[in-house]
Amino acid sequence: MKNEDESVVVTGVALVSSLGLTADETWEALLSGKHGTLPIKDFDANGFQCRVAAQVQNLDHSSLGVHPRDARIMDKHSYMLLKCARDAFTQSNLDKTSLAPEDIGFFAGMGMVDYKVEDLIPSIMKSMDSERNLDYNAFYSGGYQEIYPLWPLAMSNNISFCQIAISLNIKGENAVFSPHSDSGAQAIIEGMNTIRDKRTKAVLAGGVSEKISPSNLARAHLFKILNTSDRDGEKLCRPFAANRNGTILGEGCGMLTLESRSSANKRGVQSLASISGYGFAFESEEEFAGPTAGAISHAMKEAIDMAEIKPSGIDVIIAHGDGTNVGDKNEIEAIHEVFSDYLNKVNVFSSKGALGHLLAGAAAADTVLGIYMLKNGAIPPTLNSVISDKNIKFNLVNKSPLKVIPKRIMVNCQSYEGQCVSLIIEMVK
Amino acid sequence: MSRKKKTSSKRRVVITGYGMVTPLGKNTNETFENASNGRSGIDFISTFDTKGLPCRIGGEVDVGWQKEEEENSRTQRLEKFSSRGLKLLRVAALEAAQQAKLDEVTNREKIGVSIGTHGDNPKVEEMMFLHRFYDGNGNWNMKGLTQTGGYPYLQFFRRKPDVASSILSMLFNCKGHNFSLVSACAAGSQAIGEAYKVIQEGKCDVMVAGGGEATLDFMGLMGFVQLKALVEKYKTPQTASRPFDRRRNGFVLSEGAGVVILEELEHARSRGISISGELLGYGSSADAYRITDTHPKGKGAIMAMRRALEDSSVSPDEIDYINAHGTSTQQNDLTETRAIKEIFGERYKDIPASSNKSMLGHTIAAAGAIEFILTLKGINRSILLPTINYDHADPKCDLDYVPNEARSKKHRKAISNSFGFGGQNSCLCLGEYEE
Repeated sequence: MKNEDESVVVTGVALVSSLGLTADETWEALLSGKHGTLPIKDFDANGFQCRVAAQVQNLDHSSLGVHPRDARIMDKHSYMLLKCARDAFTQSNLDKTSLAPEDIGFFAGMGMVDYKVEDLIPSIMKSMDSERNLDYNAFYSGGYQEIYPLWPLAMSNNISFCQIAISLNIKGENAVFSPHSDSGAQAIIEGMNTIRDKRTKAVLAGGVSEKISPSNLARAHLFKILNTSDRDGEKLCRPFAANRNGTILGEGCGMLTLESRSSANKRGVQSLASISGYGFAFESEEEFAGPTAGAISHAMKEAIDMAEIKPSGIDVIIAHGDGTNVGDKNEIEAIHEVFSDYLNKVNVFSSKGALGHLLAGAAAADTVLGIYMLKNGAIPPTLNSVISDKNIKFNLVNKSPLKVIPKRIMVNCQSYEGQCVSLIIEMVK
Repeated sequence: MSRKKKTSSKRRVVITGYGMVTPLGKNTNETFENASNGRSGIDFISTFDTKGLPCRIGGEVDVGWQKEEEENSRTQRLEKFSSRGLKLLRVAALEAAQQAKLDEVTNREKIGVSIGTHGDNPKVEEMMFLHRFYDGNGNWNMKGLTQTGGYPYLQFFRRKPDVASSILSMLFNCKGHNFSLVSACAAGSQAIGEAYKVIQEGKCDVMVAGGGEATLDFMGLMGFVQLKALVEKYKTPQTASRPFDRRRNGFVLSEGAGVVILEELEHARSRGISISGELLGYGSSADAYRITDTHPKGKGAIMAMRRALEDSSVSPDEIDYINAHGTSTQQNDLTETRAIKEIFGERYKDIPASSNKSMLGHTIAAAGAIEFILTLKGINRSILLPTINYDHADPKCDLDYVPNEARSKKHRKAISNSFGFGGQNSCLCLGEYEE
């Protein structure tokens, strides 16, 4: 990236999380040490060992002005994505731009969109015989018609993305990466590449979490990633803590507007940061327990090489730090390997103590937070991790906000399937 | 090892392996042979009772191959995570990997995987089981449900689209970029397109890319029936899929998988592997029109084709074959025809444009990958695959659809279209390999 004009910059950011519906709100809450983990109230979660989550509050179709007709195939993941996409779009003045819709791209990492069993059950109930067994004849010859015709759309991982493209009139290059929890980073990388290739002039890129639902909670239990400690008061995500015991799910979304620096200058919008490197790798621990330490360090090294810097050029790592035993252990090991000579200089933060694990939304949300760190010269504390893992040799920011003016920040993210991605963002010179 | 990106010239990406499993055959050659003889892979659905449904046909894959493949113990362990779509993908990937001698590539960190797929549908039996634990108001008796032990939790993995790319990476020891795409009918094509970009920018040397889909079960079929997308009027299953024919009235749902091995040109040359063709360009676009309809003028389709041509620096004049999306729905075939006319201007009648879906039906996320490979195979064999069941000309659809019989013709460069439900469009430009 020798030519400054061609570097890819961020000109809009948006974030929705359990701590607020705007990036500002979330940032302020993080600095004051708040977390968003609460008992789940949307459905009866009593059968689950983990009954808490960091859920987004007060967001529905009416607050966003979505027509109830369109809302029938939308759900909370759609609303989070819509809110963030709109906010980033507006912040970067894309709503007032002369750019053609065909030149604006859209890339998103989407969490799993589950079907709702209750959408299907009425038709099954209608097709029962007297012994409460399914009468296939009754079902096939009419019962299925009880199901809302557009139901298949509601459970498609790409449909809310398409609805938002319609609502913002975005017609350019696009893709949905889904649902692995590094997919938001892949969306940002691909968005960035379309700008460098001149296939787009501006791009909305980011990721959105899953809605917390019985399916999503059950899946996380089955992955054995959740904090299921006996005492409810202790069910928090504790990244890199000695007493960490699993992650907590969160809801949220992060979105960025990306464009070339020359385009930002030409349009007169502020460049908030530039993205100067990325790297990825894949190697899975057994039974989907996340990537190996080797894969995590490989991704970080690739990103550092691409940014044409040395490890010492990184001031802050926004770690994946999901509070799982194996995940944090591998990431600690990988950071130690890559930053071996600079460990006392590098500050590490994880947002998951406060926001929970946003899965496909995590990487983009963390990138937005990284941009706030660059702008505000502060790193919020990693929550619930006051007693840090005794093996840690780097500086885990875990007690209070750290005043520091970072130049360059690395964002790590990983999926339980074994993918990992590292991004590097930096101040615009 | 230097990982610096070359900015001056684009890296060239060639195809060194391919594999597929389709309603027309258990591998690429069998499928291509059957397709060049104009055979249909569509029949009445045999795996479940379709009585009462307005569409009772589909393109099922013969799964006789499954047994031998399961002997692999590594595979068996992964079996519990595997959806049917993933099983098909494994077979296609194995064929492709063997052809490309993927196991001989030494730097495994520069091999990535990119897959378009959607995971299994819910099953009626599962719904019946679950309804016993549901109070009708959004609440679940989770204790009761888990205590029965009959909780079909593995369904969660089978439904997850990313399990496929992860498991393929494990099976074929690929440690590079790894991702999965969901864009309905455009997913397979986009997976290849995005993989091509990963190689082009130097992040990987080799990519395993493709798509797989197996939604041909009750919920899958019913879902498309509900959307009114499937053919409901047909004389025989074999004649139901009739792209561009005036009497077309919906698509036929099929299952299958297609996988290609994409490789950076110098990397392929240096290991002396045989090269089947070159991927020249990729374009995508969004209709941003309506969630259930394509843009009537095909604006999204036009943009995807134009982008793919620009990306490949190929002028429309050089294209001598179009592998159409051609689903056999009224809407798609008309708008696609319009879009092709817009791109190719006066030459539109001279460029053969055929639809493989006339024989294979619509394999959704696999379609883009399977059709890409069939297009490549057609270039190599100088055969234009036909659009079968073309009996009644539609005055609004007046391209050369290679009606009913395959044609022997030398051709060098082609595009392959895939347009997804919801409005995501993708186009790949490919050609014979020229030094």
